[in-house]
Amino acid sequence: MEQTLEIRELSKRFGKIQAVNKLDLKVLPGQVYGILGPNGSGKTTTLGMILEVVAPDSGIFRWFDNVSNVEARKKIGSILETPSFYPYLTAVQNLKIVAHIKQCSTDRIEPVLKMVGLHDRKDDKFKAYSLGMKQRLSIGAALLSDPPVLILDEPTNGLDPEGIAEVRALIKDIAAQGKTIIMASHLLDEVQKVCTHFCILRKGVKLHEGLVEDTLGEINRIEVSHENLDHLEDVLANFEGLETIRKNTTSLHLSLKENYNATHVNAFCFEKDIVLRKLVTHTNSLEQEFLKILKEHD
Amino acid sequence: MIRTLTLEWLKLKNYRIFWILLGMYMLSLVVIAAGGGLFLEWLKHEGAEFQGIDPTIFPIYDFPDIWQNMTYLASFGIILLTFIVIISVTNDISYNTLRQNIIDGISKREYLMSKMMLILSLAGLSTALLFVLGIIHGAIYSHVWGSQFIFDELEFVAVYFYQIVLFCTMAFFISLVVKKSGFVIVALFLYALMFEPIASTILENAPFSRDTWAADIVQFFPIKSMNNLIKVPFGRYIFKEIHDNVSLRALGISLGWFAIYLSGIVFILKKRDLKG
Repeated sequence: MEQTLEIRELSKRFGKIQAVNKLDLKVLPGQVYGILGPNGSGKTTTLGMILEVVAPDSGIFRWFDNVSNVEARKKIGSILETPSFYPYLTAVQNLKIVAHIKQCSTDRIEPVLKMVGLHDRKDDKFKAYSLGMKQRLSIGAALLSDPPVLILDEPTNGLDPEGIAEVRALIKDIAAQGKTIIMASHLLDEVQKVCTHFCILRKGVKLHEGLVEDTLGEINRIEVSHENLDHLEDVLANFEGLETIRKNTTSLHLSLKENYNATHVNAFCFEKDIVLRKLVTHTNSLEQEFLKILKEHD
Repeated sequence: MIRTLTLEWLKLKNYRIFWILLGMYMLSLVVIAAGGGLFLEWLKHEGAEFQGIDPTIFPIYDFPDIWQNMTYLASFGIILLTFIVIISVTNDISYNTLRQNIIDGISKREYLMSKMMLILSLAGLSTALLFVLGIIHGAIYSHVWGSQFIFDELEFVAVYFYQIVLFCTMAFFISLVVKKSGFVIVALFLYALMFEPIASTILENAPFSRDTWAADIVQFFPIKSMNNLIKVPFGRYIFKEIHDNVSLRALGISLGWFAIYLSGIVFILKKRDLKG
């Protein structure tokens, strides 16, 4: 399998609003791909189109190199914003329908319900479930066929902190099994924590695309401190990897030349008989990058 | 085919309202089948006479007339069967499960198939029941017996099957357009039992439209063309001439409507965006 998903020039307009505008996207197997963007930027519409519940105005998409879309969807687990099940059926009966549609075995219903913590309530009707339980059932439904690809739309929306942590752990778990995940979110923190790749959408246009690691990768800003800050400053002024140095009340902020990092700073100080009280590497947060990118395109 | 029918079965088999509606419909068929004789008994009891004839001797259960008599009466009950289709379709819309089904891995074509399979099954079940009821009542009351009588005019039973498919497909179409089960049922009731019959009666009988083109278009109305398939059979018992065959004209017109409903359904399923 060469690629999981390829989108070319996909567009969708709702009345006056261009929801998605000539979007190109490529997701390869094993990636955890985050689609970032403010509310109303076209994330859900894009997911709707690749799942064939929203009809594109133009453009094409392809799953798994030329498998029909229906067959492709059977290999995709989807967790979308609102859990949709038959309220008059129990969890088991609802999952039997999912298994029938996905043409997978019903053997996994019990283990999946155990995994999402609904086994005790498996014979209760869906309408009696709390929101958290409904969401967990939709996670169970998505995992039922053990799919190689998972699509998540705002996966932690409406969950309590414990639920959010559970879902994030689950995503990382699944990603660790080598599965591909495509996830839409407006929570930067979330994308930063779980994604390997990301793109930024605004008003249906892709503004940026790249590796999360690259964006966060500028690890050349170091914060150090010592009892005698002035002395430390004098000593570090002779450090060969130093670019700039800035002092504030309790610490020094260094920015280093390329190929230098905290290890070099530490070793250098040790050589000069200085034991640091504090040594911190500052990485960029995706939030800063995100705001920067949005600003660049204003 | 079987796959789409199984999908529908999984959705309905544990749904109480489905069984209640189906039970009510079956019961109504049994009552209608048995009711003809009871009605005549009642007429006799009330002292009604038809040119001096005792009403209970009317051979309404005689083969092959029984088929037209029963299918004509049973066609009034089909509206109960459409409720099952309406609820099954509007549920999928209001619970958002139509969207979920598609996301999980069926095509819109398969979705259409699943509902059509439901409709065909309901029609098949009803027709089978009607046939059995016809045989039973014929066996008890018919003055003639033998395959040349029993299996004559069975086209009415086939047309009854077709009427169910037609009416249910119309209900499927309206359900997709209107989306809310309550509105669909009210709309269908008002239209099928009030608006169209009143409009038809006015156009056919009012002095200003009688015998003009306006009266002629009535036969093209969706409900009228369906009802015209099986004409009122009871005139034969008071020696009036009746249509004792299936109207090919009505069949043609109703097939046109059937094509319109189906294309409407396909169009909506294809074009409508299913947002969460």
